[in-house]
Amino acid sequence: MALPAQILAVTAANVRSIPRRLGNSLVIVVGVAGVVAVLILVLTMFVGFRTTIRGDGRADRAIILPRGAATEYEGSLSRETAAAVMNAPGIRHDGRGQPVVSAEVILVAPVARKGDNSDVNVTLRGVGGQYFLMRPELRLVSGRMFRPGNQELLAGASASAQFAGLDIGKQVRLQDGDWTVVGIFAGANGARESELVADALTVMSAYKLDAFSTMGVMLESPGAIASLRDALARDPTLQVDVRGEPEYLATASDGVNRMLRLVAYAIGSIMALGALFAALNSMSSAVAARSVEIATLRAIGFGPSAVAVSVLIEALLLALLGAALGVGVAYAAFNGTTISTLGGAVWDSQLVYSLTITRSVTAAAVLLACALGLLGGVVPAIRAVRSKVADALHES
Amino acid sequence: MKFLPLLWAGLWRRPLRSVLTGLCIVTAFLLLGLLEGVNAGFAQAIAEAHRDLLVTNTRVRGGAPMPIAAMASIQSIPGVREVTLRAYFMGSFGEPVLNNTVAALATEPALFFQLRPGLIVNQDGLRAMRENRSGMLATPVLLQWFGWKVGDAITLRSQILKTDGSRDWTFNIVGTFDSVKNPATAYFGIINYSYFDEYRVENRGTAESFYERIADPTKAVATAAAIDRIFANSSHETRTRSDQERAEFQAKQLGDVQFFTNAIMGAVLFTLAFLTGNTLRQSIHERIPEFAVLKAVGYSDARVLGLAYAEALLLYLPPAALGLMLAHLAAPLAKEQIGAIIVVSPGVALSGLACAALLAFLGAALPASRLARMSIVDALRKR
Repeated sequence: MALPAQILAVTAANVRSIPRRLGNSLVIVVGVAGVVAVLILVLTMFVGFRTTIRGDGRADRAIILPRGAATEYEGSLSRETAAAVMNAPGIRHDGRGQPVVSAEVILVAPVARKGDNSDVNVTLRGVGGQYFLMRPELRLVSGRMFRPGNQELLAGASASAQFAGLDIGKQVRLQDGDWTVVGIFAGANGARESELVADALTVMSAYKLDAFSTMGVMLESPGAIASLRDALARDPTLQVDVRGEPEYLATASDGVNRMLRLVAYAIGSIMALGALFAALNSMSSAVAARSVEIATLRAIGFGPSAVAVSVLIEALLLALLGAALGVGVAYAAFNGTTISTLGGAVWDSQLVYSLTITRSVTAAAVLLACALGLLGGVVPAIRAVRSKVADALHES
Repeated sequence: MKFLPLLWAGLWRRPLRSVLTGLCIVTAFLLLGLLEGVNAGFAQAIAEAHRDLLVTNTRVRGGAPMPIAAMASIQSIPGVREVTLRAYFMGSFGEPVLNNTVAALATEPALFFQLRPGLIVNQDGLRAMRENRSGMLATPVLLQWFGWKVGDAITLRSQILKTDGSRDWTFNIVGTFDSVKNPATAYFGIINYSYFDEYRVENRGTAESFYERIADPTKAVATAAAIDRIFANSSHETRTRSDQERAEFQAKQLGDVQFFTNAIMGAVLFTLAFLTGNTLRQSIHERIPEFAVLKAVGYSDARVLGLAYAEALLLYLPPAALGLMLAHLAAPLAKEQIGAIIVVSPGVALSGLACAALLAFLGAALPASRLARMSIVDALRKR
């Protein structure tokens, strides 16, 4: 018999005998399922956080920060600086000739998380009149815009869903009394949806602030950032950095991102190691239980490679079954759940994001499952063909 | 004890299987130890935080600072022992870029260090601050960052206007202090509030925080509420919390961490129970005839069952202990890499071992019950 035919025949015989050693075969299935489900959970958390933060970045938007500032909240931009930036070249203008710029002040507002009623902070962003023009991906989904000069707020849809008291008509206690939520906005990948938005000058007057924290500008084109940067660098009174939005978002979330990645990899690899031992155990037992059968096959002319490959295929099939089970459990247990963690625009403000299992996360978990199956099968497969036929038969 | 060699021999009947199962248990308990250690780390931080130390902040962060005249009212609340205050100074050393920013807390140093046990200063430093109104205490990392040394006079350019019309503030570095919790990131100094407040133009006579020590820690909540009532319905409402509440608050800020640790621990335990349960089932099943021999020579059912359970415990406990030990050793690495405080405390280790014992018991229960019910004759016939 040709090798492929031999492999097929032995594999078929193996698979048919699985019900007889069900408990043992289930070990590899359940072990792999456990790893796959946990790996999908930790990777989805990591990927969900990253895409929520970075997803809103556009190459034709730039963030203006005080020189040396790593984040939007830690420094201050004077009104003069803001005025100078607005008149700089490279910035897009709207139909009425106004620069599409939002000078912003970043604060936090205390709220309660609905799930466990714990006190947390959300980002409060005081924005310029052109904010929604600069961020066309955001739209008002209910209610109306705030009116500058009134203590009114818009709440992001995610924030409104995750935290108590952020529905239209509700009041949020901030500086200078209660601020009323008058509208809900949504859109894009959602980092902005975790925030409250109000008029910058109204916020600054209530908080007695004299400076902005950050500015966002819409560029004429992605390439225009260079001319804006050059123009601002030529003015020695302006101590600012011009950062492309995608690049800014990538570095600003770097700390939490790095932590989540490490956690995901650490937990994933410890789980994978445990599952590898389980797979080795399971396949070794499978081979040991069939030592006579394997020796018989070889005695009647099946080649060692056919036997070895068939053991590998069995391990792989069981691992794939486990992967399917793990993916199913993950989808049922948490796909679509919304959570909030640190990661908002301010160091202690919350980012709301949903755990949405992506295809690439699933693919990574299934690939790991295959690797586990193959690694777990390879040593027993070699052992299966190393044993002397006569010895094995003698044992019976 | 005399059965130990018998149990040991049973375990090594199939060495590969026992070793691989043991390694599974080691990795599982490494992970369980670390995850439970995260929960324990938060619990420890909360338990260690002082309940008798309170902090009063403006209710709205970034809101108007509070008048220090209120300190007398706070002091007069029954049970309040000491009160001090803190204002915030920020300036830059050299060019006004972020890397040159210096932050300093303006306070009454002698009282402040008493009420902030996480900050350590020696008596010389405190005396120097008393003798030198424009003195500054700095952390070692701050000195190192700017290349300053004790004895230097430094001038900081600030947004805060001075009474003489300038924005340049000069301080004399008179000593150092240490932050116990974050020695590597404590880039700040301590200055005298009286000096700072005398020379600033705006916000004079105000502070951003008050710190209190109370006589009876069990009255923390009531006292905090009494303090907040002083400021109620004013333009600077406050929120007073004990250090312990602040630690709880911090843990919750991190997000739904407990949801994750619990979900993962549940998955690990279920998987482990299944894997090891299978090993025990096989191991006992294979040796039914041997157990039958034991019964035939007069061992009672209870003793045979005891042997089966004891073997399961011997399979579980040493690897579980090893895994928890590894978690204990790995905990400092986690702090170094991601700043997570993981405490594999004796409590964590004990609950881990109890968990291992329970798994062993559950895993052995099903096959062992068959042992007890089997008829010796049938079992021996299998040989």
